[in-house]
Amino acid sequence: MTRDELERVVAGVLAGIAPEADLATVKGSEDLRDALDLDSMDFLNLVIGLHEKLGIDIPEADYPKLFSKDGLLTYLAAKTGG
Amino acid sequence: MRQRALELGVPLDRIHGTGPDGAITVADVEAAARGAAAEAPSAPAMRAPAGPPAAEPAKPAPRRGFDPAEMRKAIAAAMSRSKREIPHYYLASTVAMRRALAFLEATNRERPPPERLLPAVLLLKATALALREVPQLNGFWIDGGFRPGPGIHLGWAVALRGGGLVAPAIHDVDKLALPELMAALRDLVGRARSGGLKSSELADATLTITSLGERGAESVLPVIYPPQVAMVGFGAIVTRPWVDEAGGLVARPVVGLSLAADHRASDGHLGSRLLAAIDDHLQRPETL
Repeated sequence: MTRDELERVVAGVLAGIAPEADLATVKGSEDLRDALDLDSMDFLNLVIGLHEKLGIDIPEADYPKLFSKDGLLTYLAAKTGG
Repeated sequence: MRQRALELGVPLDRIHGTGPDGAITVADVEAAARGAAAEAPSAPAMRAPAGPPAAEPAKPAPRRGFDPAEMRKAIAAAMSRSKREIPHYYLASTVAMRRALAFLEATNRERPPPERLLPAVLLLKATALALREVPQLNGFWIDGGFRPGPGIHLGWAVALRGGGLVAPAIHDVDKLALPELMAALRDLVGRARSGGLKSSELADATLTITSLGERGAESVLPVIYPPQVAMVGFGAIVTRPWVDEAGGLVARPVVGLSLAADHRASDGHLGSRLLAAIDDHLQRPETL
């Protein structure tokens, strides 16, 4: 998957968690949790959504790699073989 | 009576008086307020409680979308009543979270994301088990006396996007296994934010917990939700200097635990016992 495709997947999952959250407004280095006001339940739901949509395992130990938008997309690209 | 009408936002000309010569009584005002709440589909979730849950009439069905101004008003009414009527006392302590977090990490390592647990479930379960030992803080202050709760039904304060909060209850938390409790919490938070709570869930908490979450402040001094007699608060889990068992200074995860309780119903000695019991349960996470 390309980075744009992955970003669309993430945005789709986020829409179900925080309808007003707009991933496009988040800078690459920004912490998604701060930028989109995600609490730990929201973040877990994001991980669950990505796990289900992309069929990848995301161990809890990897969570810190997913906090920034760049980090998340890079991680997903590596996990989906892109 | 006028004061109560003002608090509840009920216009006097819409109330049917049942007192002498059709005079409007406080009970009429409260009945009218309940009627108004039942009619309004956007009735705010956190309304001013009027009495024991069992004595309340049926409440409106699931709410769809809500009016932030109405919710603000309802929170204002409930919290003003709390601060006006309840002589709060406050206690706080710091709880080591190393064992609890290590237990969670080990548990979650073997589970796919949908089955993972959040620290919140440990806080909920530890509080519920502690309330079994200190039942005097689980219930309501009604008509000048304490009434024990019919079970340990814990309200969980959920901040809503766009402002406001609701505190729906999870029933019999002390009897739920951790995975069941996690499922209940996910379901409840999801429905709280999408407007799908049942009215009964908003009315029957026997004690409410507020947990500020991972990016929140370190501690909170809660405002009790009447007619409950206590509220437990948890700050964010943070890493702080800690003196370990051997007397050495180490960096450890800790959480600020606090209690606000109604001094009419209990004293600080009892409140301290509750906090100590919560701490004790969090040090033995495998028994939660």
